[in-house]
Amino acid sequence: MLSRLWYYVRETFVSLWRNLSLTVAAILTVAISLSLVGASLLIREGADRATAQFQEGVEFIVFMRADASADQDGAIRDVLDNSPAILGYSYVDKAAAYAEFQELFSDKPELVESVTAEVMPPSYRIVPANPDAGNVAEMARQFGEQPGVKEVATATDAIRQIEDFSNRVSQALLVAAVVLVGVSALLILNTVFTAIGARRQEIEVMKLVGATNWFIRIPFMLEGTIHGLIGAALAVPALFVVDDRVLAYFQESDAVPLFRGFAVPEGFVWDTSIWLLVIGGVVGMIGSAVAVTRYMDV
Amino acid sequence: MIRLEGVSKVFKGDVVALKNASAEIQRGEFVFLVGPSGSGKSTFIRLLNREEVADEGRITVAGKDVGEMSSWRVPYLRRQIGYIFQDYKLLPKKTVYENVAFGLEVIGRPRQVIRTQVPAILELVGLSRKADRLPDELSGGEQQRVSIARAFVNRPLILLADEPTGNLDPATSVGIMRLLDRINRSGTTVVMATHDRSIVDTMRRRVIELDRGVIRRDESQGVYE
Ligand SMILES: Nc1ncnc2c1ncn2[C@@H]1O[C@H](COP(=O)(O)OP(=O)(O)OP(=O)(O)O)[C@@H](O)[C@H]1O
Ligand SMILES: [Mg+2]
Repeated sequence: MLSRLWYYVRETFVSLWRNLSLTVAAILTVAISLSLVGASLLIREGADRATAQFQEGVEFIVFMRADASADQDGAIRDVLDNSPAILGYSYVDKAAAYAEFQELFSDKPELVESVTAEVMPPSYRIVPANPDAGNVAEMARQFGEQPGVKEVATATDAIRQIEDFSNRVSQALLVAAVVLVGVSALLILNTVFTAIGARRQEIEVMKLVGATNWFIRIPFMLEGTIHGLIGAALAVPALFVVDDRVLAYFQESDAVPLFRGFAVPEGFVWDTSIWLLVIGGVVGMIGSAVAVTRYMDV
Repeated sequence: MIRLEGVSKVFKGDVVALKNASAEIQRGEFVFLVGPSGSGKSTFIRLLNREEVADEGRITVAGKDVGEMSSWRVPYLRRQIGYIFQDYKLLPKKTVYENVAFGLEVIGRPRQVIRTQVPAILELVGLSRKADRLPDELSGGEQQRVSIARAFVNRPLILLADEPTGNLDPATSVGIMRLLDRINRSGTTVVMATHDRSIVDTMRRRVIELDRGVIRRDESQGVYE
């Protein structure tokens, strides 16, 4: 049993080494395509999180200044309670806003430590009776002019921007990624096919003396699977770079306040990484299985 | 050990390689297959090993119906059958020792077995001193001995030989035939296709003659013609 394991490992690595240039090409293609898959998933998740505040009919959010007076706050609340144009609202106080902030940036403790509940803007999440875009914009403008209001974010602006952005970018990435995953599978298929071709004499002898088909197949399938896994492993750091650089860029941008929610916790990045490894391994295994099956069943 | 009952094999383009062939070969027999080129000798042998499948009739090898056998069992059938060729089919980058060991390694034999069996078989074929040579450093006769060693190292019940002396001069051929004879006397059934008249006539073993796929003659102590 041990000698068989050793046989598989040896044959697999000898073959990887012999085929170095194709192997490198296959691995890099897997790495790039899976990086794109991962980036697409991260952006999608970021967008979902950023727009979470706007669920359940909330069309706009009135952010109060952290130092707004009780009178200013009361005036706003008065309008919300009495206006027939307002269907409902929820109030997010400083503590709740801080809690949300903590949760969004749970993987950046230094950022969480740098603020206190005191400086968080409390906000009203408002469900208007008429969710029509023009109407919402008009209401937002009116609230924006009230004293004590820091800013008003409307779903129409923010969500459209975020959804547009995330849809376009993540879909484009996903399309590119799917094409490239296909290309990687073909490259792996080809690499394994070349590896098989290089050993057709050995295979002929193996069949002759009664090696089982699985015994012949396994080293080649391991080879393809290893291509996929190494490629995926290279995509994992790329994923963290995307999380660190790209998503962080939106969080820090002042252009759209809601982009600040565009953070993905590290746990999600790790989960995504595991998926990438699974996809990589499966793509490699399928690519090599096709190559092996095509060759063996002549 | 081997039984053919009404076996026919037709290739694409209506090429009849074997037609209604029946024969029974007992354990420990030595059988020559003779006949002109294209008469079906190689096809006869390949059918026994399930490299080809008969279109009609039934082939039994070591008690198993070869045609009906599911394909995952074929390797286990082949482990009971040694097979040698005119062109040896040795792996050029492996030494003599490694070529023979390869035959055991790929059917999952443990390393201790390989370590004892390979030297023993190399001793039998007279190549102990050349164990570390590569095939292209050997004469044709020596290469054929290596291929016999690989075919026999697993102690198969049957040895199939398709023109094993086809590339060898007469003196070397005699050496190879002595070796096959020794293997046969140890109880292994040998089926050998050949064009070598003098070998057949000297050995005086069973001869099956094929002509355009038909068994024309089957004699127990036959000659070439
Ligand atoms: N794979 C194949 N596909 C098509 N025709 C084949 C195939 N194998 C053999 N044949 C044909 O079947 C016939 C018998 O061939 P076979 O190889 O059995 O003859 P043989 O007696 O071994 O000849 P030789 O003495 O030249 O080796 C020939 O006409 C050959 O062309
Ligand atoms: Mg032939």
